[in-house]
Amino acid sequence: MIRVENLNKTFDGRLVLDNISVTFETGKTNLIIGRSGSGKTVLLKSIVGLHEPDNGEIWFEDILFNNLDFEERKKIREQMGMLFQGSALFDFFTVEQNVRFPLDMFTGKTLEEKTERVNFCLKRVDIINSNKLYPSELSGGMKKRVAIARAIALNPKYLFCDEPNSGLDPLTAILIDELIKELTEEYSMTTIVNTHDMNSVVEIGEKVIFIHEGIKCWEGTNKEILHSDNQILNDFVFANSLAKQLKSTENNNSV
Amino acid sequence: MLVFLRQLGLYFIMLKKVFSKPEKPLIYYQQTMHEMVYLGVNSVGIISIISFFMGAVITLQTAYNTENPIYPTYLIGLGCRDSIILEFSSTISALILAGKVGSNIASEIGTMRVTEQIDALEMMGVNSASYLILPKIIATLLFNPLLTLISIIVAILGGWLAGTTAGVITSEDFIYGIQYAFIPYYITYSIIKTLFFAFIITSVSAFHGYFVEGGSLEVGRASTKAVVYSSVLILLFNVILTQLLLS
Repeated sequence: MIRVENLNKTFDGRLVLDNISVTFETGKTNLIIGRSGSGKTVLLKSIVGLHEPDNGEIWFEDILFNNLDFEERKKIREQMGMLFQGSALFDFFTVEQNVRFPLDMFTGKTLEEKTERVNFCLKRVDIINSNKLYPSELSGGMKKRVAIARAIALNPKYLFCDEPNSGLDPLTAILIDELIKELTEEYSMTTIVNTHDMNSVVEIGEKVIFIHEGIKCWEGTNKEILHSDNQILNDFVFANSLAKQLKSTENNNSV
Repeated sequence: MLVFLRQLGLYFIMLKKVFSKPEKPLIYYQQTMHEMVYLGVNSVGIISIISFFMGAVITLQTAYNTENPIYPTYLIGLGCRDSIILEFSSTISALILAGKVGSNIASEIGTMRVTEQIDALEMMGVNSASYLILPKIIATLLFNPLLTLISIIVAILGGWLAGTTAGVITSEDFIYGIQYAFIPYYITYSIIKTLFFAFIITSVSAFHGYFVEGGSLEVGRASTKAVVYSSVLILLFNVILTQLLLS
């Protein structure tokens, strides 16, 4: 479980996160949704310690994470995996070396053991016969899957995904979403996904937090989100014409 | 002034992170070996070509500017040797490397920054500054003195070839000149300067790449800044070190 309490973050005097408090539950896919520039990525990066919050608390179970120094944070970071928006695979490493990197840095395993784990993780995300390829030789979807394989290499307790299906076609996006959900359940991880893709919300959003202009405006499940009376949320959820039509059809039927 | 002080502070904060204890020494060793090939061995060609022509020009210039029956011709070899060892092989090579290696380091690290690869390292709990920069600094500190020695040898060879081919000096006089009144300390002086320059090139370029913000345009700007700042600092430290080491 990850708990955020009264989190504030400013950049050059501009308030980006305003008193955010939320609990992300274990074994569930927790989604942070909101428009571009609403503060989703800043919230996610603050949780993992890539941004230092101005004030507020971030708890990983019963450990106050943002009070720890670099060395103390390392122990918790070894239990984290993160999928970045652009995959953030190391250009100078092959697929195999990318996935092996956390194992090289943080375990004393032999090369055989590490290779076995790498192959297991790659197979788990459906990447086969690509061990020797470089990131520049992979498609967008493959990069995301390799990045997920790297994120789960150390068997993390916490998985963070920043817009995992941005830039992907709808089918590949669904595959990535399903993979994240499966892994979350399989390893009983606390997963936090940043997204503005409503498909993801409907498919995997077991818990959804809606951020608008740095403020948490709504919290609920993917079932509840379609029936909310929060106007700002509805403007976001039913932004496209197809969703608007569905909503009006649903309203007409209920009348 | 405030911006300069802020940049200076950031530079030293970065250096503190760079020189903290490595997580896995074996991985750092492998990275250092890789950087030695990438930044060092791959620079042998350009340094050799430039040194060869530099030596040739110095010999011809010295010969044409000392055309006087009072001066013995072996002084051309001596002048060529001292110019190369004292100044050209260390300083000109460093300026060339600031362009080649410096821009390479800044753009590599800068691209890693804007594509969140550095965030990925930090996220895993890896000291990104140390992991990315320390092997480069060690590699250039170890390999650049070797590049300077190669430069000295090739430049003298270029000088000999140009001098004898153009007929401004005989082979015997040139060889006598480069052996005449040789002071071994000049080599030490050249190596010391090279070590300082290697550190400047790597750390300053890495600094510009590491703290880049924005996109590809900013990475390009950081790369240019890395070359300009490194070059200016090399010239500044050249004066300081010359005064300190030769006075």
